[in-house]
Amino acid sequence: MQGLLPPLNDHNLPWMDTIHPIIVHFVIAMAIISVIFDLIGVLTRKPQLFEVSFWNLLFATVAIFVAIIFGQVEAGLAEPYGAARSILDLHSTIGWSLAGVLSLLTGWRYVLRSRDPQSLPLSFLAAGGVLATLVVVQVTLGNQLIWVYGLHTVPVVAAQRAGLV
Amino acid sequence: MLSPLLLMAGGSPLHPLLATAVVPADSPISQLVPSLGANDLPYALPIHPNLVHFTIGLFVIAIAFDIAGALYPVEKRVFRFLALPITRSGFHDVGWYNLLACAIVTFFTVAAGFFEMLLAVPIAGVTSTIGLQSMETMLWHGVGGVVILLVIVLMTVWRGYQRFVWRKDLGRQVQWLYLLVAMGIFLVIGLHGTLGAELAAEFGVHITADQLLASGQNLRDALP
Repeated sequence: MQGLLPPLNDHNLPWMDTIHPIIVHFVIAMAIISVIFDLIGVLTRKPQLFEVSFWNLLFATVAIFVAIIFGQVEAGLAEPYGAARSILDLHSTIGWSLAGVLSLLTGWRYVLRSRDPQSLPLSFLAAGGVLATLVVVQVTLGNQLIWVYGLHTVPVVAAQRAGLV
Repeated sequence: MLSPLLLMAGGSPLHPLLATAVVPADSPISQLVPSLGANDLPYALPIHPNLVHFTIGLFVIAIAFDIAGALYPVEKRVFRFLALPITRSGFHDVGWYNLLACAIVTFFTVAAGFFEMLLAVPIAGVTSTIGLQSMETMLWHGVGGVVILLVIVLMTVWRGYQRFVWRKDLGRQVQWLYLLVAMGIFLVIGLHGTLGAELAAEFGVHITADQLLASGQNLRDALP
């Protein structure tokens, strides 16, 4: 597969810098704001916000598949070490699971919206709580890979190439 | 770029006070050392980069949906084909509420950014991919961050006037100029984000592994 990619730079990447953390802006922000707008919409009886939530949720679902594509390529080039290995495994597993959860929730939401866009059952709010929790766990794992283990950062890649890690 | 200005301040005998300025050996950051970890923060994972997800995600999607609302006459057939019921006002609702949320959260993004930049210890002797040193990168990213916060707040006020006053009764809730300015801001945010990414991935700011390596430690022992 590496034959298909341009040569690797000092981030051990075929492109300037990691793309996965940029794509996940749109998964994290849209999924969380969707849950928040649902909550505000129910509490303040503002059904307008349910429409805003729906579109944000749909966008998060589209974005997560793009995030996974780049995530898989960059994980394959990350050369995790020590405990980062199991963190990356868990991050990948939850990432794929989140794609399933987001798709299911979006499908459910599509049906709810088709039937009555002005109301939202409490069961969907509860599902939103589960979604937000999963996102927070996933973000924490991703944070550890970059901010603790420094995967794809120049100093760590240099140390790896020198055989020090 | 900032470099000539800094060179004048640091290198030439332009101003005697500036030329002889010295950084005290006992930097004020040392007062906090007992409470800081290997990543130079009092906690394991930095906050600013996580709030950035919301600033960028909300801004970009707000504008994207206002573009969708503006181009509604073109795309409505596509959505009918997809059996996805849409309303123009629904798209513009996303454009407004996402931008409002962006403006609110960005105050915290910038505040967290300043806290963490005050504690930043960039790896010495590094020049970034776009050719800046660490202090230049931090100055551009810090001052730029405040400017972008101001711009986002102004855009939100502009968007609010369009929604509630000027274009209240119109189908297309935003001016073309608004969308054009927003696309310009995309470019600025992209460049700004690149500087932030370089502070992490090249200068190793607040990255435990990078800081341990810079202090000469072996990751096999220090970070098993």
